Amino acid sequence: MTRPRIDPRASRTEQRVASGENGRRRYDLSSRTASNPIGPPRRDPRQEWAASLIDRPGRRRYDRSQRPVARGGASNVEAARVGSAAEAVSTEPTVRIIEEPAFLVFAFVDAPGGRLSRFDRQVLGGARLLADAGGGGGAVVAIVAEEIDGLGAAGADRVMSLPTNGSASARAAALRAAIETHAPRHVLFAEDGDAADCARRLSVALGEPLFSNVEHLTARQVVRPNRGRRAELAAAPPRLMTLGEDRAKMHAGAPGEARPLEFETAPSDDQAILSVEIIPGDPARLALSETDFVVSAGNGVTDFEGFRELAALMKGTPGASRVVCDAGLMPRGAQVGASGTVLAADCYFALGISGAPQHLQGIAACEQVIAVNTDLHAAMIERAGLAIVQDAQLVMPALIKLLKERQS
Amino acid sequence: MKSVVLLSDARHPVSGRAVLSRLEAQAIGLGTALGGTLTGLHAGDCEDGVQESLGHGLSALDILSLPPEADPVSALTDFLKAQKADLILAGRRGEGGFDSGLLPYALAEALGLPILADAVALTPGEATDTLVVDQALAKGARRRVTVRLPALVTVHPLAPAPLPFAFGAMRRGTIRRHVAEAADASTDPVEERPYRARPKLMRTSSATASAENLHVGPEPEEAARLILDYLESNGIRRYG
Ligand SMILES: Cc1cc2nc3c(=O)[nH]c(=O)nc-3n(C[C@H](O)[C@H](O)[C@H](O)COP(=O)(O)OP(=O)(O)OC[C@H]3O[C@@H](n4cnc5c(N)ncnc54)[C@H](O)[C@@H]3O)c2cc1C
Ligand SMILES: Nc1ncnc2c1ncn2[C@@H]1O[C@H](COP(=O)(O)O)[C@@H](O)[C@H]1O
Repeated sequence: MTRPRIDPRASRTEQRVASGENGRRRYDLSSRTASNPIGPPRRDPRQEWAASLIDRPGRRRYDRSQRPVARGGASNVEAARVGSAAEAVSTEPTVRIIEEPAFLVFAFVDAPGGRLSRFDRQVLGGARLLADAGGGGGAVVAIVAEEIDGLGAAGADRVMSLPTNGSASARAAALRAAIETHAPRHVLFAEDGDAADCARRLSVALGEPLFSNVEHLTARQVVRPNRGRRAELAAAPPRLMTLGEDRAKMHAGAPGEARPLEFETAPSDDQAILSVEIIPGDPARLALSETDFVVSAGNGVTDFEGFRELAALMKGTPGASRVVCDAGLMPRGAQVGASGTVLAADCYFALGISGAPQHLQGIAACEQVIAVNTDLHAAMIERAGLAIVQDAQLVMPALIKLLKERQS
Repeated sequence: MKSVVLLSDARHPVSGRAVLSRLEAQAIGLGTALGGTLTGLHAGDCEDGVQESLGHGLSALDILSLPPEADPVSALTDFLKAQKADLILAGRRGEGGFDSGLLPYALAEALGLPILADAVALTPGEATDTLVVDQALAKGARRRVTVRLPALVTVHPLAPAPLPFAFGAMRRGTIRRHVAEAADASTDPVEERPYRARPKLMRTSSATASAENLHVGPEPEEAARLILDYLESNGIRRYG
């Protein structure tokens, strides 16, 4: 780091205030001069803390995570520094519109059930990165099979809907036709499930190599493991790629417009496929590591019959904290946490769990957490997205009653 | 029914020794449960790991001798065309080679067979010459597809665990060696270098509690309604 050197004598002379002929020498030390440049503005730590204060009654809480949250104070950090907190910065995001894309990047979005998973968002984020590469100006086209919400926020500029009749080969054929018409620069898939299957069908049909399971994605280079992770292959981003999970950042900038892009294909049929039927997973019998929603009981729960009924009604997989499993009230296989199962679920519903560090480790990946606890200061209440300070023994029967009402 | 399991040259992730890939051992388990004759097929020069498959329930193993870096697709295609197998089983991804999972697809294209990925269960169909394949989907769902044979099916790691290994069976099994014509592997301009582990993204929750989502002492009915509304608005579950 280099800073301009200060000449103290010169700056002293410049700060001298003209005074009478035989008066005392006087200086204005607050004046800033050319030889005494103003450094970076001074930080005001108190104001920074005040900006991260969560306005919540009771105990003071600070949010020191560097996530941009829509909180009253957070957007004011800049304003507070300048000293005028008068006008709050508008938090309404502006949609970014790419009218004439220089090139296209296809992102294959699977989204079973019409809901974008974290992995789908990462694929869209990776495609966004490739579309902004070099001079930028590329557009991300999300390839979907059904109507999906939130594609724009995830970074898609265009949405192309390819009709499917459940057959993987028909979907790959439709995508192939789209690729031949639109000639995208890159096509990005998730290395998982149907997306991985479609990528390989396409690679063989187009006769183009597939760069599978990318672990490192930048605009200039992609890297994938090889020989059982004893070597790796690096290349400039090719046309067909599949992306590993948790390898690319989700899009966080301005949302795209997600404008529909028309494409007509005649759906073809695979003669060898005679019937297709989807069997939904039964959450009650799923493994904890495979499920998407866990209903979990801790030491604050005493009525375990009611708890099992609740988990079944909520269509969640039952889980428990270690204390409960040690006491033999729930099977050991249901234990969540560092010495139990580390979850990959989207949502975690904790009843009477204090949120010990060993337990929180197990739910680090859960996006949504709901906590019911009698203690306002429990760590689980702090971790939760919806926190309810109430007796679990009262909430459980109320939930069961409400669920039965809604079902009938 | 005549089935063939494709066996690749897999390496142990830690020691680097030749082993039988677990996925292919699971494929043997699925094929054995179907009945009929089941044989193994490997194209390459590595016998040590592949031999283990005999101990997991295969009766015979065909090995097409090829030099180490040759492309196995054409040799496998020629051999399988002559074999006329009803069902070809493969792993979804190799372990220790190029690991792209492309070989079964290239083979299906060359043989003109339908391919189904990620099978966790196989049962014979009602009509003759059909097979019911359960494919693993996300969140424990399964897709049950009925396919007309012959077909190629790749196996998912959630398939049942492989049959136990028996040393005697491995010694008794027959190995048939065939000479095959080696095709040149396509030379690709990718740079290979030692592996470097790269950190995965941290999974953090997007929602922390804010003032409007903390409810102190609500009525139990109110709490129940809040919980169900939260689940439905976040698209986790729909009730009623
Ligand atoms: C090496 C090691 C590994 C561990 N691994 C794990 C692990 O994998 N998984 C794990 O869970 N733990 C693990 N633990 C234990 C962990 O430290 C905690 O002891 C445990 O998680 C606490 O469980 P709990 O929250 O259910 O019980 P408690 O800590 O007793 O908390 C009960 C909570 O319920 C609340 N409550 C009480 N009554 C009610 C009511 N009527 N209604 C609503 N709320 C009520 C209380 O306010 C309290 O917050 C491990 C510990 C060690 C040392
Ligand atoms: N040389 C080979 N001989 C026979 N089968 C192979 C060979 N290489 C790969 N396979 C099969 O193809 C699957 C996918 O391999 P890969 O395309 O290399 O990832 C493996 O699980 C094997 O079933």
